[in-house]
This record gives sequence, C-alpha cells and structure tokens, in this order.
Amino acid sequence: MNRISAFAKRNFKELLRDPLSYIFCLGFPIIMLIVMTLVNESIPAEAGMTIFRIDNLAGGIAVFGQTFTMLFTALTISKDRSGAFLVRMYASPMKSGDFIAGYIFPMMLISIIQCVVTYTAGLVIALITGVELNIGGLLLSLICLVPSSVMFIGLGLLFGTLFNEKAAPGFCSLVISLGSFLGGIWFDAESTGGVMLKICKVLPFWYCTKTARSSTALKFGNDEFVIPLVITAVCAAAVTVIASLAFRSKMKADLS
Amino acid sequence: MYSVEVKNLTKKYKNKTAVDSISFTVKSRELFALLGVNGAGKTTTIRMLSCLSAPTDGFAAVNGHNCIKNSDDVKKEISISPQETSVAENLTVRENLRFIAEVYGFSKEKIKLRTDKMINLFNMHDIADSRAKTLSGGWKRKLSIAMALISEPKVLFLDEPTLGLDVLARRELWTAIESLKGKITIILTTHYMEEAEKLSDTIAVMVGGKIAAMGTLAELEKISGQTGLENAFVAIAERSADK
Ligand SMILES: Nc1ncnc2c1ncn2[C@@H]1O[C@H](COP(=O)(O)OP(=O)(O)OP(=O)(O)O)[C@@H](O)[C@H]1O
Ligand SMILES: [Mg+2]
Repeated sequence: MNRISAFAKRNFKELLRDPLSYIFCLGFPIIMLIVMTLVNESIPAEAGMTIFRIDNLAGGIAVFGQTFTMLFTALTISKDRSGAFLVRMYASPMKSGDFIAGYIFPMMLISIIQCVVTYTAGLVIALITGVELNIGGLLLSLICLVPSSVMFIGLGLLFGTLFNEKAAPGFCSLVISLGSFLGGIWFDAESTGGVMLKICKVLPFWYCTKTARSSTALKFGNDEFVIPLVITAVCAAAVTVIASLAFRSKMKADLS
Repeated sequence: MYSVEVKNLTKKYKNKTAVDSISFTVKSRELFALLGVNGAGKTTTIRMLSCLSAPTDGFAAVNGHNCIKNSDDVKKEISISPQETSVAENLTVRENLRFIAEVYGFSKEKIKLRTDKMINLFNMHDIADSRAKTLSGGWKRKLSIAMALISEPKVLFLDEPTLGLDVLARRELWTAIESLKGKITIILTTHYMEEAEKLSDTIAVMVGGKIAAMGTLAELEKISGQTGLENAFVAIAERSADK
C-alpha cells in the first residue's frame, strides 16, 4: 500500500508541476467550451441544432477533457520507460501492480478535478446564456464519468507501455480526434443516423458522451443512461485489464 | 557468509556474449570493484546481480538469496545506482529521497531521519529544495546515489558512480563512499584506476566479458609483475586479449 501511495504521489506531483498539463487538461476544455458556445450563438434558432448548447456541450467537453488524461498518462509512462528511472524502481520491491495502480490513481484525481472545472465553467456559461443546467445533474455526472475516465487512462497506460515517447502521443492524438468526433461531441450523431451512427455505436466513445449528457440532464432511461453506462464500464474494465497485462509482460521482457 | 556469490554467470545477447562464465565471491562488508574498459560487461554483471536482467546461464546469489528464484528477497536487501542518472526530474532533492524511503515502507520519523542523513552525507543542504531537473549533472549523480543509499541496503551496487564528475566532486563522493566502508557491501564499477585503487578491498579486472584477474592491488601487481594499478591493468588486459 505504501508503495502504491508513494508512487502515486510522485506521479501526481510530476503532473502538477508540468505546465503542459494545465494547458491541456484544464485550459483546453474551457477554451473549447467558450468557442463552441460562441459557435452556438451564431447558429440560427430555426436550424434546431442544440448540440453546442451548454446543456449538451458540458457533458461532451467533459469527455473531451478526459481524452487528454489519456495523452498525459501515455506521456508519463513512455518517458519513465525511456529513462533510467524505471530501471532503478524495478530493482526496488515495487511490483507491476504497484506501478499500474500508482499511474492510474493520480490520473483519476486529475480527471475529477478537470471535470469539476469544466462543469463550473459550464454553469457560468449557462447563467450567462440563460440556459437551464441542473447542479444536481452535474454532481451526479462527476461520479457517472468515472468509468470513462478509467477507460481513457487505461488507453494511456496501454499506449505508454507499447510505444515510445515519440510514437505514443501520435496514437493518442488519433484517439483524441477520432474519439471526440465519433463520440458525437462535435456533431449530433443521432439525428445524422445512417452509417455514421452505426460506426459511432461500434466504438466505446459514443457511450461515454451519452452517459455524460444523460446524467447531466438527469435522464435515467435504459437506452439513454443505463446501457451506455454499463457499456462504458465494461470497456473500461477490459481496457484496464489489457493494459495491465501489457505492462506486466513488458516489464518481464525488460527484465529478461 | 558471502554477500555475493557468482558461479559461471553468463549473459548472451543474440550474437554477443556480454558476460562469459564469470565466477567470484564478495565477502560481507567488502568493497569490490569491477574494473574494465567500455563494453567489458560490468553493467551487465551488475544488472544480473540486481535482478534487472536474467542470466543466460550460471548462478548468482546475494546474501544467500538466489537472484533468479528469490528475486523478491534480493530486492529487499539491495539498491542500485544505475550508470545513467535516474531521479524524478520534477521532484525536489528532498522529495526524491522521501519518495524512495516511502517505497520501502519506512515510518514517518525514520523517513525524516534518513532523508536528513543523506542530505548531510552528500552536502546537499543548499539544493535540498531545488527540483532535480535544475541540478547540474554532478549533483544529480550524487542525488541518484543518495537515493540508492537511503533504503539502508545491505548490498549497494554503484555503476560508474563518478562518471561525469569534476575532480572535486569526485573526491567528495569518494569520501562519502569511504565512510560506508565496513558498514555495507559495495560493488562498484569503474574505468578509473585511481578510483579502484583508492576505494576497493578487492579488484576484478574484466576484459571481454571475462574476469582476467582478481585480487587486492598487491596481488594484481604480483600477478602482472608490474607496479601500480594502471600498469598492472594494462599488462593483464593485453595478456588476456592475446589469448
Ligand atoms: N541489451 C543488449 N543487447 C545487446 N547487446 C548488449 C545489450 N546490453 C549490453 N550489450 C553488449 O554487451 C557488452 C557489455 O556491455 P556492458 O554494458 O555490460 O559493458 P560495460 O562494461 O558496462 O561498458 P561501459 O564501461 O561502456 O559502461 C557490450 O558489447 C554491449 O554492446
Ligand atoms: Mg556500463
């Protein structure tokens, strides 16, 4: 336990002291909230397009922010692996499980802080634009977004384990762009329908966004909330297990 | 009891034998130096002894624990300062030290005690609260070694501890290492004759993955028929290269 907490503390401090994590994990989601709200203001009401209205946008941007925790997890791990730091730690009593938990927990904390910041900014925007946003829904959404945060961190763990410092960010950017698009953050997948919606539904990202939007709106139907939440949770568990196995086998290979 | 026991230890990479069936023992609380040129196999040997690399063949034990079968027991009693400096860059000197002490599960009081002790031993008072990434290479190296020492290892592996240090810093580090002599077992690698001569009880000369000669300085001089470690080393290295 003290091994995990010591390592988690180290990782948390390393992240907090890297200015890039503020820009990407906190700054970027807020900027996107503002930009998309401005876009929304210029869409004529007759268009009937509400995807960028703050009650829809807040949940989407919360998930968008989580994709960046994936990038930072991958960066932290691939950097550690490229230097001699992990070598020294491999010769200590740290086990592979200690490393994995020590990487995941601080990122989860960052993810929650990020979500609080995004939703607070969302509330302010809602007040300014006169859209109704339920505080209870936002609070609930913080908890409902834990599975998707675990999924993105798990993906980061996987990329950071499999790829080096140069390749890992590339793969993450791919998932960030594809995931946020096919997660339906930037367009209304449901009213678009067709092949597009089918593709969205094959990937886990759409369910993350759906869970976020439904929980903030306090809609708890099976199709709009329960099923997406369960799918996200199952994907999160699967990704974490796969990433942990990858880390373990990579560690074994490093020590062979 | 021996602190380190090595028998026919071998490490082969695809088409390269990095360590070629070496055997030696190190007594408890002895300072043992592996002296050799670049690529002699020093780091590979240390990696196998500290459970960072699995031997292709042979036997290695630290404090009676088999390095392959009981690596968990070995890891509790050793520390390594790798050849490349390894510190957490965004943590301060003090935080780096505390981090390692925490990993080893020390109590709060002991963490503070050991951290202060390391800062004293390596004269790091002025930089104790600076982030590691702002330190010069020499200070980083000292921190890296202090991090290996803070866990109170019974066996300490130092891979080229004074690499990249200036003359003064090197002497300072020698003093710190000398102050540990007789307290713990230390295995260090170096290609500086002076360092091996000054610090070690026993010197093993490694050439091309093999131990070409081993003994105290006087014994090496006798084996080679030369005076001074440098002359002895050159004679031993040339003789085994001729073979
Ligand atoms: N992972 C590896 N794969 C292939 N060959 C390796 C590997 N690690 C080391 N070697 C080879 O094994 C030999 C011994 O390397 P080692 O690092 O042990 O030497 P060294 O004595 O520590 O040298 P130096 O003084 O330069 O640190 C070298 O020829 C090196 O190229
Ligand atoms: Mg070496």
